Amino acid sequence: MFVTPIKLAIYDTFAKTAQAPTVVDIATKLNVPVTDVQNAFDELHKQRLLVPEPGDETRIRMAPPFSGIGTPFRVTVHGRIYFAPCAWDAFGIAAALHTDAVIHTKDGHSGEAMTLEVKKGKPVPAPYVVHIAVPAAKWWDDIIYT
Amino acid sequence: MLLFRSEEMVDGWCAANNVPKRPLVSLEQLWVLAKEWYSDRLTIHSRRPKPDEMVEIFGRIGLTGSFWDPTADTWGNPECS
Repeated sequence: MFVTPIKLAIYDTFAKTAQAPTVVDIATKLNVPVTDVQNAFDELHKQRLLVPEPGDETRIRMAPPFSGIGTPFRVTVHGRIYFAPCAWDAFGIAAALHTDAVIHTKDGHSGEAMTLEVKKGKPVPAPYVVHIAVPAAKWWDDIIYT
Repeated sequence: MLLFRSEEMVDGWCAANNVPKRPLVSLEQLWVLAKEWYSDRLTIHSRRPKPDEMVEIFGRIGLTGSFWDPTADTWGNPECS
């Protein structure tokens, strides 16, 4: 199946624009049939590299570590603003792009503003913690909630 | 998956939402996970770690026990099924 070039095109678009491409965007970019791209989206979903927008499988909710919609995890890299689905993926954007990043987010309980930073290939120390409510075996039962 | 300023905030969130408290992940551990999952994500060979690889990664940074065991997970990746 024509999956790998489409996977690369999705991630290239996210990396360069911070926006999620649609099925039509990728079909146009690669000059291939829309049906082929939709099939690849479905396959990438099975591989857990992509989550379609609920109710519209032609759009991407997330291609981890990137989010296709605004989230409480705003990641700034060289002036470009990305959104991540969660704290893990916020660090993941810095890891995927191999660059420093500043992450603006908020405390999960109080809502107080928080800032994380990745500098020279590692996180700036802070006493913050992540709590994952769902066991690993269940993460993909509802990955948007997780 | 939520980020908190302190463990006290986690306790407050768990109590307010009637959710059992789970093992906490530090920023240092989270950064290791981010690199393991995503450092090659933009490359041709990128893929999610397989379940046995996930267990090894979690164990390497002290995340052990049934909570971190994804082997009950069933997924659609043909390489992993």
